[in-house]
Order: sequence, then C-alpha cells, then structure tokens
Amino acid sequence: MSDAELATPFRQRAGGAMKDAFLQEALTIATTKFIGLRREAFASFPEGEALRDRARAIKEATLQHLDRHLETLIDNVERLGGHVHFAATPAEARAIIVDIARRTGARIAVKSKSMATEEIHLNEALEAAGVTPVETDLGEYIIQLAHERPSHIIAPAIHKTKGQVAELFTRELKRPAEPDPEALTRIARAELREKFLQADLGITGANFAVADTGTVVLVTNEGNGRMVTSLPRVHVAVMGVEKMVPSFTDLMVFLAILAKSATGQKLSVYTSLVRGPRRAGELEGPEEFHLVLLDGGRIAQIAGPLREALSCLRCGACLNVCPVYRQIGGHAYGYTYPGPIGILLTAMLEGASAVKDLAHASSLCGACADACPVRIDIPRMLIELRREVDEEKIAPWTERLAFALLAMLFRRPRLYRLAAKIGRVVQRLFTRDGRIRALPLVFGEWTRTRDLPPVAPRTFQERWAADKDLRA
Amino acid sequence: MTRAEFLERIRERVRMSPGRFDASPAARPRHPAADAEIIRRELAERWPQTLEAFRREFESVAGVFHRTATIDMVPAVVAEIARERGARELVSWHAAALGADLGAPLGALGLDVHQMPAAEPSDGAERQRLRAIAGRADLGLTGVDLAIAETGTLVLVSGAGRPRSTSLLPPCHVAVFDRTALLESLRQVGVFLEAWHGDGRPPAGGAAINFITGPSRTADIELTLTRGVHGPKEVHAIFVEQPIRG
Repeated sequence: MSDAELATPFRQRAGGAMKDAFLQEALTIATTKFIGLRREAFASFPEGEALRDRARAIKEATLQHLDRHLETLIDNVERLGGHVHFAATPAEARAIIVDIARRTGARIAVKSKSMATEEIHLNEALEAAGVTPVETDLGEYIIQLAHERPSHIIAPAIHKTKGQVAELFTRELKRPAEPDPEALTRIARAELREKFLQADLGITGANFAVADTGTVVLVTNEGNGRMVTSLPRVHVAVMGVEKMVPSFTDLMVFLAILAKSATGQKLSVYTSLVRGPRRAGELEGPEEFHLVLLDGGRIAQIAGPLREALSCLRCGACLNVCPVYRQIGGHAYGYTYPGPIGILLTAMLEGASAVKDLAHASSLCGACADACPVRIDIPRMLIELRREVDEEKIAPWTERLAFALLAMLFRRPRLYRLAAKIGRVVQRLFTRDGRIRALPLVFGEWTRTRDLPPVAPRTFQERWAADKDLRA
Repeated sequence: MTRAEFLERIRERVRMSPGRFDASPAARPRHPAADAEIIRRELAERWPQTLEAFRREFESVAGVFHRTATIDMVPAVVAEIARERGARELVSWHAAALGADLGAPLGALGLDVHQMPAAEPSDGAERQRLRAIAGRADLGLTGVDLAIAETGTLVLVSGAGRPRSTSLLPPCHVAVFDRTALLESLRQVGVFLEAWHGDGRPPAGGAAINFITGPSRTADIELTLTRGVHGPKEVHAIFVEQPIRG
C-alpha cells in the first residue's frame, strides 16, 4: 500500500471497507465458502489432526537448528549448480534480483504468485530497472493490471466483480471482453502464454525448501509455477528463511494439510519440486538457478516474541474465519499480509509501531488459532503485541492512562468493589436495553466500535456471600 | 550480505532461544530403497483396490480414467480422445521413457506424432523448435512414475526424453501407467522420494518432479471454478493391466 493510503487511519480504512456493499458481499461469500471447503476436507481425513501436530513439531524442530538446515540447503543448491544469495533487508533482496536481471539481459520477467516478492515490492524495482514484471497467477494478473494489491493471501482478487475484470481487460489489453469468468480466463491464458514463451526471467517464491536435497517446492493450481520454472532461461526463487523443512519425509506431512487448509483440496493441482538448473538431457528448465534467502525481520524472531509466527504456511485459513477480516477485507490492514497472521507478520517485518492500531483489530476469539494448520497461537501473540505497543508508549496517552487506572483498580479488591458500586449507579445514565452503547468524552473511544457490558446488578462476590446459607 | 554473516546472525538467535517445546522432525526411513521395495511388493498383492481408490480420487478432481488390457491397445484409446476433440497433433515422451514405441501405430490412426528426442537438443534453435511443437500440439502423451490413490495424483519426473512441457503446454494431457506406479498414500510417496535421492535410483535424471492432481484450475474470478487456465484443460489417465515393461 502506498504511504498516502497508510496515512489514512486504520479505523477510517476499515470503516470505508464496511460501507462498500460489494466488498461486504464478496467477503462473506468467499470466506464462507473457504470455511466450508476446509471443514469438509478435514472431516473426511481422520489423520488430519495428528498430522497438524506433527507439522507443528517439525516446524519447531527445524527452527531449533535453522542454521544447520540452511547450511545444508545452501550446500546442496550450490552442489546442483545453483547460486544462493543472502538478503538482510527487502532493499538488498531487490538489488540482488535486479542485478541478476541486468546481468542476464532480461527484459520480461514472469512471476508466479509469491507473497515474499510482494513483501519486498519487487515489481516497482524491476520496472525501474527496465524489466517488465508480469504476474501470471490469474488473480495477481488482474490486480497488477488494476495497479492494486492483493486482498487475500490465496485469492488476491476476490474484491473484484467479473464485470470489473471485463472492463479492465477491455481497457488494458485492448481486447473486448465479456463479463464471463470462462471467457476472461481464456483471454488471460492467451495473453500470458505469450509472455511465458517470451520471458527471460522466471521469478517465484517457495512454499517450502527441502534442506537435504536442495529442493524448492512450489504449489499452484493454475500451472503458472511450472511454466515459470520450466520455460525462462533464468529462475530466481525468493524465500523467507523460515520456509525450511529438513527432508522429503517432512515435506509430505505439510503437503497433506496445506491445500486442505487453503482451498479444501486434497492436494493443489500442481506441486513442483525443483532442484537447481536443468540437467544434461533435459529439454526445458533454466540454465541458471538462483535462490534468494530473505531475513527482513524473521531472524530476530527466532529468539523473539513472534517466533511462533515463523511456522506460518501462508494458507489463508485464519483470514477466512476471522470476524474482523470478514468485515474489512485485506486492503484495510494496509500491509502485504492481511488477517490475524498478517498483523503478526507486519509487526515482524515492519516493527511493532506499524501495528499499534492493527494489534487491536481482533476480538481475540481464537478462531484463527483453531483454523491454523500448524496451530499457531495467534491471539497470545496479539496480546503480547498490545502490551508491547503500550509499554513502548506507542499507544496514545489517554489509552495508556485508562489501562494504568484499570490495572490499579484490579490490584485493590476494596477499591474495586467500591468502583463497582459507583459504576452501578453511574451507568444508569448510559445503559440502554441492558448494554452501554455510548459514553461521553474520551471514554467514547471505547464505545465507538463496541458495546460495554454494564456492571451486573449483583456482583459475583455479593452473590457468593448471599448464597452462603444455600450452599451450607 | 555474505553467507558467513547471514548464517552467523541465525546462529546467534538460535543459541539465544531454547525453543518452545521438545520437538523433532519426522523420522526418516533408514534404508528408503529397501522400504520402497517392501511397499511395492505389498502393493503388488492388492493393486486392484489401490487402482479403484485412485480412479475414484482422480475422477473427483475431474480426471478422465481409461483402462486397457495391454499397451498395444493404448493408441486406439488416444486416437478416440483425439477424434472426440478434433485434435490432430500429438507430442509424446520418447519411446524409452514411455516404455513402448507408440509412434507408428498412433500415426497409422491418423495422428501427427512428434516424439521428443532421448538426447539433449544440439543447439538453441533445435530447443526452440521442439518447444514450439509442444506449444502448438493438441495432445501431450506421457508416462507416469507414481500414481497416488489418496489424492488422485500423477507424479512425473523430468529428464532426457521426458520434457516437462509435454504434460504442461498442450490443452489435453494423456498419461499412461500400470500397476507398478500405484501407491496408496502421500506417506509412501515420501519413502520413494527419499529413496530416489538416497540409496535408490530415481526414474530419470531431470531437475523437476511434478505432482499433477487433475487439470489446471483457477477460481480467481468471483470464485467461479474454471479449468485450463495455464496448464491442460483435460487430464486423461490410461491404466494398462499388463505391466508396460513386461
């Protein structure tokens, strides 16, 4: 998202999204469908629950020796004739890739869907260097033509209607297009097929990298991942350091749950395991293979409060079940990664100050942790982030003062009981139909977006004392 | 940043964190080639059940399943698929990779057959020419290295005479396999992958292994399922009862 858009407060971005009737309908339909598909997939897969635990344990075990596994991966990729690059920051990653593009004389780069390259804003850098980047995932292609950013990790264009896509194709591709998904897909196939055959450079992310065989694993449904890794002269894969798995045995555990969590498929249509450049005797495959390992804030979290988020598979399951995401969609979050996990990843990549509002964009209901295939405890880390935002004095002083007063009250039982008595009297002024819906002054900040439950007519303590006889 | 600096950064953080809980990666087979052999032998006895499970899953991902008694009967099935679609041009893996030379019989049935060479093309122009054939062909004919019943998936290893494009560029992919390719589960596939890269031998020496689970698909426009966006719109699997390589 542009700085100008980010300058709009989160609350305003979210408010705008909630007033967008089409977006609201699209979000409800998409997320509800994904939830149903995921549920069905796991319902007919009894070993699923055990595999989720297994997958989580593998991620944790891999992190505990990440240095060793990465060394093995690097050695293997180099042994296979590939090149490995190391990027501490998005800027370094961009410079590495632009340099590869320049050195190989690339003019067109085809890209398969990759959150890592979104994260480092690669397309702008390529364009500036005179290389035309072409997104080839249909959703990403639509987004690129519209100069927007993805709104869902696995369905980037769910916020667009077929009518809008048809207009976009007619205008940008100079091809009259009917608002029919089948016809629109045919147009995209023809346009992109040409690009695949012309491109010099293929750029992908990596869903996984298998250390002990030097394998990069790409999962797609459309087949663009296969095109991008087979047809251009040069293949560059960009991956966050956390995408490691030690062996093929481990990989199969993840493949068994990834697509089920994302789209409810048993497997995505294409899973491609690629090991370096093409070998002797092969007709296709790149002459050059480059792997760009990306830190971007991940490495610090190996020993940081967001460590668990390094297990994320980017399946999008937590977005679909999140009551906040379902209301506001991906764009309102303002950064590359939306949804509950997106808040954590944004804090990881951009620092806690980037999420001072986002950290509160959660009801902490725990649906995300339930849906997560590797059981990441997202709510726990959101609470951590809220504390950090508070302690680092990133939150406004009124908010910090209010919480400091509450904390004082909670530590003093007599004062607390007294406050409850006072509150019970004062709240009469504000209570309507059993809820406090609006408060005056700075307290109004709280009730602007949520109700406040009133103090009960009898507190638990009072009932406990009163019912003593009954218990006896 | 250099490799040493980058790894040192990670090492430092790994040392600082004891980890959240005791955990180990998956237990790997110690002798994967032997384990793979055991799996094959066990499956040899119950292949009809495995095949039935494969067919069910393959059809549920919109694959089209065919069955013939011998490899000699495959060309007739392929010709019928071609006839129904008005297709003429066919690109095929090399006979050695398919396990049988179907070029002549397919040609006799009226198809324009391009068999991919077993050796690497001599120069860039030849490479372009072969790729252009795959790009314009109506049908792509390949073998199958593994067929996974759990998911209805075909696994194809790239290599000499087995271009990646044969199963990717034509709008219709036809794959021929027999009982020796059948596996029940993804877990078993893991054992085979370990064997191919460990103490066993891979089916071919290419750099890519592709898992194909039905035709190419997308739902990126209003969640409407559409097939054949980049890869094939149709995938056919022809099961040959009599093992292809005798």
